[in-house]
Amino acid sequence: MTGPHPAAELSDTAAKDTRTAQKVSSTTVAVLAIYGLVAVLILASRAVSPSLGGLSQIETVFYLSAFLVFCAFGQGLVILVRGLDLSIASMITLGAILSTTLMGGSNDGLLYLVPAILLVCAMVGVVSGIGITFFAIPPFIMTMAVGIIVYSLCLGVTGGTPRGFPSPMLREFMQDRFVGIPSPVWLLGLFVILGTVLQGYSSLGRKLTAVGNNPAAAHVAGLSARRLTILAYAISAACAGFTGILLAAYSNGATLRMGDAYLLPSIAAVVVGGSSILGGRGSFLGTVGGALLLTTLSTILSALGIGQGWKTITEGLVILAALILLRDEVFTALQTRFRRTA
Amino acid sequence: MTSKSKTGSAILAAFVGTTMLAGAMTPADAKTADGKWLIYLSLSYSGNSWQSEAANIVKALAKTAPYNETVELVEVISGTDPQAQISDYESMIAAGADGVVSFPISSTALNRVVRRGCQEGTLFFMYDATVTEQCAYNVSYITSGFGENSAQALVNELGGKGKIFLSRGVPGNSVDERHTNGAMHIFNQYPGIEIAAEYYSYWDDRTTQQETAKALAAHPDVDGIWAQAGEYGAIQALLQANPDRLVPMTGENSNGFRLALANPDYQAKGLAGVSAGSPPAQSGFAFKLMMEILEGKREPLAEGERNIQYPLPWVPADAVKLCEGDAFENGCNAFPEDKVPSSFVTEVFNPELLPELSLASALDGQPTEGATIQALPADAVQKAPDAPGINCRQCEAPEDIYALTKIEPTVQP
Repeated sequence: MTGPHPAAELSDTAAKDTRTAQKVSSTTVAVLAIYGLVAVLILASRAVSPSLGGLSQIETVFYLSAFLVFCAFGQGLVILVRGLDLSIASMITLGAILSTTLMGGSNDGLLYLVPAILLVCAMVGVVSGIGITFFAIPPFIMTMAVGIIVYSLCLGVTGGTPRGFPSPMLREFMQDRFVGIPSPVWLLGLFVILGTVLQGYSSLGRKLTAVGNNPAAAHVAGLSARRLTILAYAISAACAGFTGILLAAYSNGATLRMGDAYLLPSIAAVVVGGSSILGGRGSFLGTVGGALLLTTLSTILSALGIGQGWKTITEGLVILAALILLRDEVFTALQTRFRRTA
Repeated sequence: MTSKSKTGSAILAAFVGTTMLAGAMTPADAKTADGKWLIYLSLSYSGNSWQSEAANIVKALAKTAPYNETVELVEVISGTDPQAQISDYESMIAAGADGVVSFPISSTALNRVVRRGCQEGTLFFMYDATVTEQCAYNVSYITSGFGENSAQALVNELGGKGKIFLSRGVPGNSVDERHTNGAMHIFNQYPGIEIAAEYYSYWDDRTTQQETAKALAAHPDVDGIWAQAGEYGAIQALLQANPDRLVPMTGENSNGFRLALANPDYQAKGLAGVSAGSPPAQSGFAFKLMMEILEGKREPLAEGERNIQYPLPWVPADAVKLCEGDAFENGCNAFPEDKVPSSFVTEVFNPELLPELSLASALDGQPTEGATIQALPADAVQKAPDAPGINCRQCEAPEDIYALTKIEPTVQP
């Protein structure tokens, strides 16, 4: 592309606006609000159990969130381009099964096997993407079909009992600590930085956002909407495969249903994190906040001595409350109120 | 279906029912066109090791001589929805099934279709899970007291006091309720036992691991864990939270758990307990029993007498013994780590009831080379006590339903 970026021009004019309330975007507020909510929940959880609210709980939350964050990143990109990836559960299973069967409990080949597995998963994502872009199959149906096929292949090939063990090095990595913090939490930090840069600040991220905002306009602007959409599905599948490899190392083996618990939460994390389910808007930091919120909530709820039904109801209510509070309308109303009083 | 044909089939059903009551129905002649028994293996869901192993055992037995010549086995997976299994049962009955060996999704929802199948001359053999319809055979360990016996074992290890977690199964499931009620019957007798957290782990290793990790964040000082299937995940979570501290725990039959119980390193860190619970071998026993009845080698049991108890596997830490070969031989009950995954459920074998099986049978559904079907011992059938809502309707549980059978209390409340 030549010439100044249209968005850059826009932000130039926006910078001239000196009103404080206009400087903060609704997305930033939503992201801050969700982290605030997580912090409040963690502090309030002291009331549930004196052992909660401390560093060890925060550590557990970060550790358990990591798996959700890894696959929600891909889901977020797919949602950004107006799609939905329902094959995530199966791709997690595929990644886990490939890693335990191919590595077979040894460290040999770890360096090339992990990229190879990610590549296999990405190729499956490409298949979903092609079906959606070239054959105009709704994302919902396409990814569900691919997910069922992949799951059934796993079931057929393993006979129901996935064999093998993860590589010992990966297993140690999942249990090790570096400077007193579990290594997967460091990995999570690195992943969040890379993901934020990729989605929010790289040219690829901007192009994906443009495609999600208006595919026709993006096409006119010279972007290949199809290629970018396919890429989003490929990244999502690879992220799910990555989650699977780590989950297998975490639980020392693969099972066929190990991805199921991440499918709906991956979508929830993206939406709770302030992204539009219709595409075109969202930030990865928000998704991370959404994942942290969901995990914190379930950590606290499992410590509460209430029945399973009430736990699930509470979880649903808090998610609902978060969604209502983080709506644009609430932000605009607050902004108006703030401007009047200022 | 029109109302006319409904009436027609009702009359037919009534007719068949009457002839059955008169004892005229000899199922031994009903075979498919090619002279084989038409047997359906009906699963609810597949995808965990337990379900796959149970199904593989039946498949392996059906491929073992002489059943490889006489049985046509068709596998049907219905998923977790009772409606789907009902319509699958209907299709099997319509296809003229001689027998259905099945893991039923619900203990009550399938009753009507099972009853209809019985009237059409189809034998129903349920394994592990049960139905309350009295014409079906239930082959299950459920009534054998897993909950109370394992709870007492944990109480003994803890000296009668301490904070514990309950890692349960699937919410609302009758099996989970039965186990938990049995366990609570014991725990409630000991005021020193405090249930610090109770969570549902869906009989799955990974879910158990994550749920236990969450509970450990709130209660790092837990003293013991009572777990249903998925127990290996609880050990992983304990090690993750503190690599130097394990606590006594009880769980089901995963190979990973048995190896951990016998691991001197883990014992030194505090692990103790017992491995018991649901054996996939029940499916094989149910299948062989059904075939013996079909072939007329064994008398059918009277309705109301068809609840058959499978003995509870019970392996404390000092009884874990590694198998050198591919079967339970010389009293061994666990496999070396490189042979099977940790989530593999070890109780696929039974030297008395199922000597035909080896590891390849459980893992891949393959018959053991050179094996032939051996007749079940004459005293193989052991009647199960009544369990209302689980294996009978309008019945009363015996007063000593939670009586301990495997272990004695070593601490008094």
